[in-house]
Amino acid sequence: MMSSPSSSSSSSSSIKPRDKWFNLALRDCPGVRESTDFWRHSNLEPMVVDVILVKRPNGWGPLSNSPRTGLVRNMSSKDPFPSFWNSENDEFGFETKSDKIIERWVVQYESRKSGRDYSSGTKRSSGTSSHILYKRSILLLRSLYAMIRLLPAYKLFRDLNSSSQVLTYNLSHRVSSFVEPFTRQEESEMQRFEFTAVDTFCGRLCVSVLYRSSFSDLSSEPSTPITPQFIPDYVGSPLADRLKRFPSASPFVRRHSWSYDLYGASPPSEFPSPSPTYSDSRASISKPSSHRLPPSSLPRYLPETPQFKRENKNFDEFFPSSVFSPLTSPSPPAYLHGNQLPTALLRSESAPVSIPGFKVGGASSSNKRQILPPSPPYKGSRPSASRAERSSGLVQTSSIADKFTLGKHETGRYSGVKISSGSSPQKSFSRSSSRLSLEDDFDDSEFSGPFIVDDDDVTDAGSRPGSFDQKAHIHEPLEAGGFFQVRKLQDGAVGAHRLLKKAPPLRQDITNSIILSELPGVQNAASSSVASSGLVLPKTTADAFEELRGYRELKDLLLKQSSRSLT
Amino acid sequence: MNCEVCQLKELELEHFEVREVLRCVLHTIFFHRALGLVRPKDVDLELFDITYVQCGDLDLDKKIEEKIDQFIDRVEKHPNKKNQICLSFYEVKNKQGTWFPKKLERLYWEQWYINLNMVQQLKAHSSKSHHSKVVVDPGESAVEETSIRRAALEASLREVLFQIIEFVNEKKDHVPPIPNLDGISFPYEITIPGSSDSAFGMDMFKRMLQTGHPTMLS
Repeated sequence: MMSSPSSSSSSSSSIKPRDKWFNLALRDCPGVRESTDFWRHSNLEPMVVDVILVKRPNGWGPLSNSPRTGLVRNMSSKDPFPSFWNSENDEFGFETKSDKIIERWVVQYESRKSGRDYSSGTKRSSGTSSHILYKRSILLLRSLYAMIRLLPAYKLFRDLNSSSQVLTYNLSHRVSSFVEPFTRQEESEMQRFEFTAVDTFCGRLCVSVLYRSSFSDLSSEPSTPITPQFIPDYVGSPLADRLKRFPSASPFVRRHSWSYDLYGASPPSEFPSPSPTYSDSRASISKPSSHRLPPSSLPRYLPETPQFKRENKNFDEFFPSSVFSPLTSPSPPAYLHGNQLPTALLRSESAPVSIPGFKVGGASSSNKRQILPPSPPYKGSRPSASRAERSSGLVQTSSIADKFTLGKHETGRYSGVKISSGSSPQKSFSRSSSRLSLEDDFDDSEFSGPFIVDDDDVTDAGSRPGSFDQKAHIHEPLEAGGFFQVRKLQDGAVGAHRLLKKAPPLRQDITNSIILSELPGVQNAASSSVASSGLVLPKTTADAFEELRGYRELKDLLLKQSSRSLT
Repeated sequence: MNCEVCQLKELELEHFEVREVLRCVLHTIFFHRALGLVRPKDVDLELFDITYVQCGDLDLDKKIEEKIDQFIDRVEKHPNKKNQICLSFYEVKNKQGTWFPKKLERLYWEQWYINLNMVQQLKAHSSKSHHSKVVVDPGESAVEETSIRRAALEASLREVLFQIIEFVNEKKDHVPPIPNLDGISFPYEITIPGSSDSAFGMDMFKRMLQTGHPTMLS
């Protein structure tokens, strides 16, 4: 029931000389040098590192107006990899953000001036040899390393890092050389841990941490999973199996690099536990941390947005957009969908399509959480989604629990959307829906997040902790199961085809949307995001049909090429 | 050299939780005692919302798993409530003896006692059957109970981890200087004290003989 430990593993890449200093091989942390630079000049000043919880105001839902600016600004952010550890949290542009320091680390080197305090230090320090000093430093660092992971903020950090969850808070940090005092009340809410100071020849190194032991105000807020779930279920339905005309989609899948697999692997986490927290207010509480969205990723997903914007009386209508995006968009990144789709299909597929290969991949340690005995609420009331994502989001691929609860998920999901559309005026719904699809984007772009956050080498895929490894694993089985993908995508396409015939005006033209989104002045006041604004172009079914034909030809062409290259 | 002893807070857990809890505790101790060059590895517990750090050393992993297997084996055979597992660190010293010209001796400098209190799942079952008579949803209360218990265990496991860190911080001087370690850790042994008292003694005795043997001949 419990096999090998899960999660992160660091690869055994070469050991740097620096690692030998304290026998601790750590990854590079690029931001650290700059932010601690001042300490090099004068290491007598304390170094205060505040970890700040940036909470988005409660009104930051799709129904509120205020965050628009923030969102738009985030879209245009220059930083392609905004990190949680970005100290300039102002750039997020939230007017009413509320910050809270949740951890304060103070590193201080207390100089001992020519033996003045010598006696007041511990007696043993007098005999400090460099060996002992070295040993103590190592021990200090080890316990520091372990401690950080035990503190409550680490959980937030992990949740933020986990894929495909949009949370209502963010973490930031600030390094300074002076202690900004807490109010008495703040201080009373914090706990203190002081690491044993390391005595050196000429001073002592003190490290301490003040930390908030609970974030009560956060826990009450449900987090928001991403919601492109309609597609897989639909495709898996018998309706879609009737015609299989579309050729293989494998070229789209094959080309994926490992990082795209990340995307492909993450959708399962959109199927969190059927806990009631999710089902009701999902759409309205979605607060995407869109500042993490690389701006470049916006246009190519635009096609999905208008789909949402239509009155979604019939969920089938959503279907085309996602199916076609891989086919329609000529740009490589859009292949992401090509990958996502099969994955989702494989997952939601019922019995006949059992994909052993895939299961092997998916059955990596993360799954065990779900399969494990005996009862669902392992972590108290904590939604299991975050747990799942944390461990790479693969959970549902083969999890038993998922099979049992799928129906429930669906209702939860659907009702979530419906509620949002029903209870809010049209405009706001369009906003919220576009946000939903933005979350989808976010999911994609998200793979760039952890790199920064982890301060990891972007290129060093091998050294990525667990989630990435696992996702990389899944890649192979996915390819192995290419047949299914092919078939399923065909089905999907056919279904879409059918739907298009009876579809209301369609605004799905990708070329148009891209162009439009770049035009200034098309900003629609009613829509809060760039995404929704540029796309309100009516399109007739005939147009869509025409396009569909074109895309099909394009796809056939691609397939021919690929089959040629395969043989 | 003095031998520091750390009695870790007792953890109340069910059988199927033993492995994960032991892993977490043992690895955490080792992370503070395997002072050779390590490449730390974060590991998420599967049953609990806790992340701990491993040294990322395959040999060590293996040894720990072996010992955990042994322990679980033993618990199955001798279902005691209270169980203990002891991790000791020692140095090997050459010692001139009167009887033997040379003798390898283990100088223990630290011992960690992990205390486990096994609880049976019976509780959940009994309450289940009890409630089913009273026409209450039978599964629910059991599930609730389990999750409460799990949360409690998680909290106390966290406490134990804190305890380890505190101990490591407080007591540093008894740790031998870091030699060029053969492997990443100081020499250690993991024993299951209660297992069978004689076996433990025998084990020690055997080991003494083994280490003494070659030199006895010379």
